[in-house]
Amino acid sequence: MRLLEFQAKRLFSEHGIPIPKNVLLKASTDLESLPYPVVLKAQVPVGGRGKAGAIKPVTDANEAAVVLNELLSISIRGNPVRAVLAEEKVEVQKEFYLALLIDKLAGLPVIIASDAGGVDIEQVDRESPEQIVKKYIDPSIGLSNYTVRYLAKRIGVEEHLRDFVKLAYSLFDIFQSYDGTLVEINPLAVTANGLLALDAKIVLDDKAAYRHGDLFGRLKDEQTQSGKNGRSRAEQLAEEKGITYVSLGGNVGMISDGAGTGMLTLDLLQDAGGRAANFCELGGFGGKESMQQALEVVLANPRVDVLLISLIGGLTRMDEVADGIVAYLKGHEVSIPLVIRMCGTQEEAGRARLQTVGIEALDDLPTAIRTAVDTVKGS
Amino acid sequence: MAILIHENTRVLVQGITGRVGSFQTKVMQEYGTNIVAGVTPGKGGTMVDEIPVYDLVEEALSEHEVDVALSFVPARFAKDGAIEAIDNGIHLLVLTAEGIPDQDVLTVLHYAAIKGTRVLGPDTPGLVSPGKCKVGVHPNRVLKEGHVGIVSKSGALSYEVCKLLTKHGVGQSTIVGIGGGPLWGLTQRDVLGMFEEDPDTKVVVMLGEVGGTMEHEAAALIEKDMTKPVISLIVGSAAPKGARMGHAGAIIEGAGETAASKISALKEAGSLTARDPAEILSRIKTLGV
Repeated sequence: MRLLEFQAKRLFSEHGIPIPKNVLLKASTDLESLPYPVVLKAQVPVGGRGKAGAIKPVTDANEAAVVLNELLSISIRGNPVRAVLAEEKVEVQKEFYLALLIDKLAGLPVIIASDAGGVDIEQVDRESPEQIVKKYIDPSIGLSNYTVRYLAKRIGVEEHLRDFVKLAYSLFDIFQSYDGTLVEINPLAVTANGLLALDAKIVLDDKAAYRHGDLFGRLKDEQTQSGKNGRSRAEQLAEEKGITYVSLGGNVGMISDGAGTGMLTLDLLQDAGGRAANFCELGGFGGKESMQQALEVVLANPRVDVLLISLIGGLTRMDEVADGIVAYLKGHEVSIPLVIRMCGTQEEAGRARLQTVGIEALDDLPTAIRTAVDTVKGS
Repeated sequence: MAILIHENTRVLVQGITGRVGSFQTKVMQEYGTNIVAGVTPGKGGTMVDEIPVYDLVEEALSEHEVDVALSFVPARFAKDGAIEAIDNGIHLLVLTAEGIPDQDVLTVLHYAAIKGTRVLGPDTPGLVSPGKCKVGVHPNRVLKEGHVGIVSKSGALSYEVCKLLTKHGVGQSTIVGIGGGPLWGLTQRDVLGMFEEDPDTKVVVMLGEVGGTMEHEAAALIEKDMTKPVISLIVGSAAPKGARMGHAGAIIEGAGETAASKISALKEAGSLTARDPAEILSRIKTLGV
């Protein structure tokens, strides 16, 4: 889960990382009371907001009202703006970059700093990689003081060494204690009053939600209220039920029992001239109940004209998922055709159960895909 | 010969009494895997299909010799089970759990590296050398002994390929599922290197997907060190940017992470590429394996 800026800054502030004074604007906020000049920042989970027109300076309440309305009426890369943060404008002397993240290839946490702050770090990495300093962190030892001093020296922030060390440790504390996969300050500004985190990006590991009480749920609710996205009914249902679901806009509904098979099915469907309505995958431990839930989610999309179910059981048992399909069909009126490819663990039992509701499962994936595409074209 | 496991591999199953663990243990036994013991905390002294169950790995090891630990321990407890296996000197640990928090995986992988345990996974279907030993959940019927080595991020995709190869009489040496990421113990590159050394493997199939940059690392190895032919299939061409496609690691976040970029890097490195399992089969037939 990627936090919105105001949520990330709240965590920063709670952990002693200095941030500019800010107010999350609500309908009831008195714009006259803001300490002008201020910057209005659209709360959308995308990078490069400055260039995208999501960040605007304003000098008085009249201008603020106009800009606020304007921001609330636009979308930034598909994300409608529903919340705006007003922040004091600060005089910046120099901008740095500081982040902690998980390096997937190395399989280690890494701390990254740069004297090229305020720009897209991937661009810096491509164009002047010598400006980026990285140190891996041993998870059993944690962040060493010398590592932070090394970074400070290399990027030239030694003048503020004490603050920089304190801030790096706070960042590491957030990264560890909240199961972060990315905690980033870009830019980290030097001002007349010392270091200040002008922007904040935090990505939390959804897989670890269970060990943080209701925190992740509360953060997510807060985002929904802040209108993080205008989601379809199928997407909302999928989130409620914890089903993997990606909306794709076509009319061939798809459910698979593995990520790889699901992606292969989509690729081959595209090659065959079909347009997928969605990607939906049961995961390795799919059973009767998760199949029923997946059917409910995928069929909640009214644009689905045919449903292609692509199953190749390993961990997933075909008798169990067949039970799920049968139970769903008995409990619901399904008016669109189902094309089912079923093979793997317990496939005979699974096929036999599908036959009780008049479905003859196919064995071959390309045949199933052709059948689904022909069905749509014929209708 | 095969890689990582062989006819006489002795297997310990962690989480043997659970719904999945007990069922898959039975399926592995039917396949001929030598499962010598199981561990589930609190279930010590019981039996699963005549296999003795212990509370602790240490207790199991005092009675049995073990080469591989296969963990069906659920994600929330997987780290503790893994650390227990590593502390007890297990050489190869297969972690099937999906959804282990990244920071737990980091700790496990790092500790394993220090202690000299190889980790396959997490989120892996395991591995199988057809006709010899299965330490995983691959459907028995799709397997056939032979000379094609397969390394895959996706279990299901490897079953798709094996099913077709087996149907056409093309057997496999070892099928290794490395897991769906975003963090991995053994990587594509590691497994490719083992296949290169394995006399039983004549051609290698690499099944990859969008997300991360591991396939580029594999491409570099193929170009430099592989003499055996490698056929690659990368799925996810139809995947939109920024969407997580089922596997935690299957998400396009940067330029090198698309299917197109991986396919072109692999082609440039001298790998043959295929669009679907049928094309893999025809490429193998052309190679005459």
